[in-house]
Amino acid sequence: MAADLLLVPGLASFRASLPSWPVEKSIEHLISLFRRRQIRGPKPCALATAWLLRKVVSTTRATEPGKLILRVQDVGKKLVEAAPRELTVGNIVRRVLGAIREEEENREADTPLGSEPNSIPPTPAGELPTSFLPASAIAPARDDSPLGRPQNRPALLSQQTGGPERRPAVTSMFSIMAHPTMRGSAGGSSPIRSGSSTPSTVPQPPQNTDFRAEVLEAITEIVDELDQADEQVAGYALDHISSQETIFTYSTSPVVQRFLLKAASKRKFTLIQAESYPNSHKATHATVIGSKIPEGYEDLDTESFSKPLIAYGITVLLIPDSSIFALMSRANKVIISATGVLSNGSIVAAAGTKPLVTAARFHRVPVIVLAETYKLSPVVPYDPFDFVDYGDVQKVVPYQDREMQLGLQSVQNPVTDFVESEYVDMFVTNLGGVATGYMYRTIRDQYHDEDLEL
Amino acid sequence: MPPKQTKVAGRTKEDTKEDPLQAVVVADTFESKFAPFSTERPRCLIPLANAPLIEYTLEYLASAGVQDVFFYAGAHIEQVETYLNASRWMSKSSPLKIILLRCMATSVGDIMRDIDQKRLIQGDFICVSGDIISDFPISKALRVHKQRREKDKDAIMTILVRERNQSDHRHKDQIVPTFVIDPTKDRILHYEESFAGTAFGTHVDPEILKTPELDVRQDLVDCRIDIGTPDMLSLWSDNFDNQHPRKDFLYGVLKDYELNGKTIHTYVVDEHYAHRVDSPAAYAAITYDLQHGIASSLALSNNIAGTRFQRSRKNILKEDDVIIQRPTRLDHGTIVGSGTSIGASTSIRKTIVGRRCQIGKRANIDSAFIWDDVTIGSDVKISRAIVGSETFIGDKCVIEDGALISFGSRIPAGSHIPPGERVTSTSSFNKDGTLAKDPAADAFESDEDEPTYESQWARPFYGQQEFAESTFSLDSDASEPSDEISKDGSRSASFVTHGSEEDTSERFVHDTAAILVQRMQEDRNSDDMQSELMGLRFSGGADGGQVQKAVAIALSRHIHSEVDNGASADKATRKTLEQYRNLVRRPNAEQTIEEQVVFLLEAQLDLSRRTDGARIMPFFVKDLYDLEVFEEEAFTKWFDDERSKEDNVAATRDAAEPFIDWLAATDEEESEEEEEDDDGEED
Repeated sequence: MAADLLLVPGLASFRASLPSWPVEKSIEHLISLFRRRQIRGPKPCALATAWLLRKVVSTTRATEPGKLILRVQDVGKKLVEAAPRELTVGNIVRRVLGAIREEEENREADTPLGSEPNSIPPTPAGELPTSFLPASAIAPARDDSPLGRPQNRPALLSQQTGGPERRPAVTSMFSIMAHPTMRGSAGGSSPIRSGSSTPSTVPQPPQNTDFRAEVLEAITEIVDELDQADEQVAGYALDHISSQETIFTYSTSPVVQRFLLKAASKRKFTLIQAESYPNSHKATHATVIGSKIPEGYEDLDTESFSKPLIAYGITVLLIPDSSIFALMSRANKVIISATGVLSNGSIVAAAGTKPLVTAARFHRVPVIVLAETYKLSPVVPYDPFDFVDYGDVQKVVPYQDREMQLGLQSVQNPVTDFVESEYVDMFVTNLGGVATGYMYRTIRDQYHDEDLEL
Repeated sequence: MPPKQTKVAGRTKEDTKEDPLQAVVVADTFESKFAPFSTERPRCLIPLANAPLIEYTLEYLASAGVQDVFFYAGAHIEQVETYLNASRWMSKSSPLKIILLRCMATSVGDIMRDIDQKRLIQGDFICVSGDIISDFPISKALRVHKQRREKDKDAIMTILVRERNQSDHRHKDQIVPTFVIDPTKDRILHYEESFAGTAFGTHVDPEILKTPELDVRQDLVDCRIDIGTPDMLSLWSDNFDNQHPRKDFLYGVLKDYELNGKTIHTYVVDEHYAHRVDSPAAYAAITYDLQHGIASSLALSNNIAGTRFQRSRKNILKEDDVIIQRPTRLDHGTIVGSGTSIGASTSIRKTIVGRRCQIGKRANIDSAFIWDDVTIGSDVKISRAIVGSETFIGDKCVIEDGALISFGSRIPAGSHIPPGERVTSTSSFNKDGTLAKDPAADAFESDEDEPTYESQWARPFYGQQEFAESTFSLDSDASEPSDEISKDGSRSASFVTHGSEEDTSERFVHDTAAILVQRMQEDRNSDDMQSELMGLRFSGGADGGQVQKAVAIALSRHIHSEVDNGASADKATRKTLEQYRNLVRRPNAEQTIEEQVVFLLEAQLDLSRRTDGARIMPFFVKDLYDLEVFEEEAFTKWFDDERSKEDNVAATRDAAEPFIDWLAATDEEESEEEEEDDDGEED
C-alpha cells in the first residue's frame, strides 16, 4: 500500500514525501496540493502547514530569530496565497511565527541574566510547553476560561497600552520582571560583556541551535494540539447538553460528533441532524448509521465514527435540509461546527449554515458553535464573499446533464457559508465556552500582534 | 506514532527508487485541427485561459503523482523546448523530472517505437497527449490495472474512457469510437471508428459474439489517457507501420488477439473531469467549464496553471495590474489577464482577454477569445471570434462570428471581417475595408485540408451545422500527417499514404509483413513462404504492389533484427537475401523497372525508420544487384527518384551512394542510355 500512498497525492503522500524531499521541493509540492485542492478542510491544511514549517525551521540555517521569522513569513505567504480560503493555514503560520518570537524574546531576556550562557535557564524551559499549547492540555480544563490563561494576557495588555515604539509581547511573568526593567541595563551590559570576556561570545552558537530546537518543540506541540483539539472541545460537552434536550445539528464533523458522543455517555437526549445536501450528505448518512466514511471525505477521521450515537441509545432523526425550518421549533439548541472563526466572531461554516441559523433565530433557539483553537483566525472579514468557497458543480447539476448546465447562466456550488457573528450565541473552544462578544479577545490571545497581517 | 511514521516513510522511499511512476507526453498529435494557429505555434502552447495547454497537462501529471516525464514535442520543437526550459517544470523544485526527447516522427506510432528502442520505460506508465485537462486521480485506474496484470500478464493496456451525453455538443462532428466490451472483465473485444452522422457498419469476428455478455458502446469518449506497459511498446515495434494509437494500434492488436493473445481493457471515469482539447469546439467548451468551476480542483481561480487570477463577484476573474476605465461593463464569465487596460464605455461579455492587451473605448466584445498582446482600437465590435497574439485591430472594425485572426495580423481601421473568415499576418485589405484575396490565402484555399478548419472553427460558434456539410474525413483526424508538419519542412508526408479507401490495403500489408517476419524468424524456406504469400494475397484480395511492399518491409525488418542481435550488416543482409530472394522476384519472372523502384523505395522507407538503417541500405542494394534480383537500371532510377531524396529518408540514400557510383563507373556505356523522367506514383 505504500506505493498507493505515493500515487494518491494528498495529506498522506505529502507526509510520506516530506522526510526525503528537499525543502524547496516540499514547499512547491504543498503549494500545488493546496491549489489543486488535494488537501482541503481545516484540519488537514493545518497539519500539512505545521509539518512543512517544522521542516522549514529545521533546515533553515538561521542564527538569528529575525532571519527565521522572515523565512517562515515568506513560506507562509506563499501557502496562504495558494489556499486563500483555508483559514487554518494562516493560523498555523502565525502560531509558528509566534513561537519564534517567543524564543527571540526569551533569548533577549536571558542574555543579560544568564551568567552561564549555554545552559537553559529553568524558567523559560518550564514556561515553553504551556506558552503555545492551550493551557487546557495541561491544567484541568474546566477552570480555564480565557482569562485563566496566564501567559499571554498581561503581556498583550501591556503591549496595547504601550507606545508603538515599545517592544511588544512580553509573554510571561518572568519576562515582565526581566524585560522592561532590565532592558536598559541589558542593552548596556551586553556590549561590555562581549567586549571584555571572551567566554560569553564563544558559547553563543550553542544557544542559537538551542533556540531552533525550542521552536521545533513548539511546532511539535502545535501538531499535538491539532490532534487533541476535538477531544478537548468534547470535554465541555456535559456543560452544554442536558438530559431530555433536543439538539439540532447540521452536516457532520469530527468535533461535533465527539462532542455529542461524550454527552451521550452520560445524558439522554434527542438529536435532529440535517443532511447538508449535496456536499456532505453522504458523510452525514454514514455518520448516523456508523458506516465507513465514503471516499472523498478524507478529512473526517474514520475512527471517531466507529460507534454511532444510536449505539448509546440516542434518538437520531436524520432530516432533509428542506425540513430544517419545520423542525427547528422543537429544538433546544443548535450545535454546529465552524471551518473558521474570524476576528469579530463571524464564522465560516458548511454551506447551508446561514439558512439554518436564520431559522434558529426565528425560533429563538440558541446557536452554539464548536471551534477548536486552530480555527480561530485574526482575519477581519471586510468582504464576506472572500470566504465563500466553491466546489464541484457536478454535485448540483450532474456533468452528464449538459443541456441543463448550458441552459442556466451559471451554476455554482458553494461549499461554505459566511455567517455573521450576531447569529452565534456562544462558542466552545479548547479553552471552554466563550461568549461571541468576547471572541475577539480569545483570538487575539492566540497570536502576536506583529503577525496579524502576514 | 513516530516509529510508525518513519517506517511508512522508509518504505515509500524504497518504492520510489524501485518504481517511479513514468509518463510519456506526446505533445504533437499529428493533426491539423488547430490550423491556421498551429502552423505558427505548436498546439500545446495555445493559450487556454491565459496559460498554455501544456501547463494543464503537466499539472495533471504532477497531481497524479507522476515523477518522470518523457516529452516528445513534435512540430515546432524549438518553441516547445524554449518554453519548457524556462518554465517552473524545469526548476529544481519541480515535482516532475521532464526529459525532452527528439525523434524523427511522422506519427504517434513512430514515437512509441522510439521509446521502445530507447528502453526508457521500466514498468507501467501513463501515456497522454499534450492537451489533456483532467482531475481524475489516475491511481484508481492504476490499481485496477496492476491487479489485473498480476493475474494476467497479457493485459497490456488500460484505456481511460468517459461516458458522455448524447447532447454534449463538443463531440458532434468528431470521430465516434465504437467499443465492443466484455463488461465482466472490462476487456475491449473490438474497436472501430466511425464518423458521426454516418451509417455505421462493422465486421465483428463471430468468435467475439460467443462471449456470454457483450456491450457495444458508442457513448464513450476516449480521454486519450492510457496506462501502458513495456509489452505494449514492444507490440508497437512489432506492428511497425501502425501510425495512430487507436485506429491502427488498438484495432490491430484486438484483431490479432488470436495471434499474440494480448488484451486491452477500459476504465470508465465517471465522476471526474477528463477532456482533451482536441478541436476548437472542445477548446471553447473546456474554457467554459474551467471558468465555471465544473470541477472545483480545476477551477481557474485556483490558479493551478501558473496564472494569478483573483476572483470577484459575478464570476469575473482578473489578474494583477488590470486597468479598467469606468464606466465599463464586464459581464458574467469574463477573464482579464494581467497588464491589460480597457477603455471607457467598453462592454465585455463571456470573453477571455489575454495579458498585456489594450482595448479602446466603446468596444463591444462578446464571447470572444483574445490572446496576449492584442491591441484593439475604439468602437470595435467583436463577436465570437478568436484573435491571436500580437494582433492589431484598428478603430471601428467589425469582426463577425467565427472569424479567426492569426498571430501578428494587422487589421486597418474600419475593416469588416465577415463570419468565418481567416486573417493572417500576410492578409491585405482593400480600401473599403474588405479583405483582399491574397496569394497566401489562396494557398490555404487550394490546400485540401482547408475547408476543414474553416468549418471547424466556425462550428463552436454556429453550433448547428449539419453533419452533411462536413468535409472532415476520418483520416484527416487520424493518421495523416498534417499540413502543419509538411510546412514545417522537417518532415514529409509523401511516403505515408493513408486514406479511408486505403485502409484495407494498409492492413493487408501490415498483417502480411508481420507474418513473413515471423516465418523468417522460424527460418522457413522461401518456397513455403511463397505459397503462403500467394494464399494471403488471394484471401486478402491484394494486388502485386501490396505484396511487394509487404515483402520489402518484412525483409528490411528481418535484416534489422538480425543486425540487432549482433550479426554484421553485410552478412545479415547477404544471408537473408540469398535465402529469400525468390520472394522479391522469382527467377525469370517478369517485373517492370518501376515495380523494382517502388520496392527499393519501400525498403528504404522502412530502413530509414530504424537506427541502423543507413548501415544496412548499401548492403541491401548491393546484394540485390549481386544476386541479380534487380536490373541496374532500377538502382539508378531509384537513386535519382525524388521520393528517395526526401529529408527523412535521405540518410539511407546517401549511404548507398558509393554503390551507385561504382555501378556507374563499371557500366558507363549502359548508363548512357536515355533516362526518361519518371514521375510515376507508387499507388
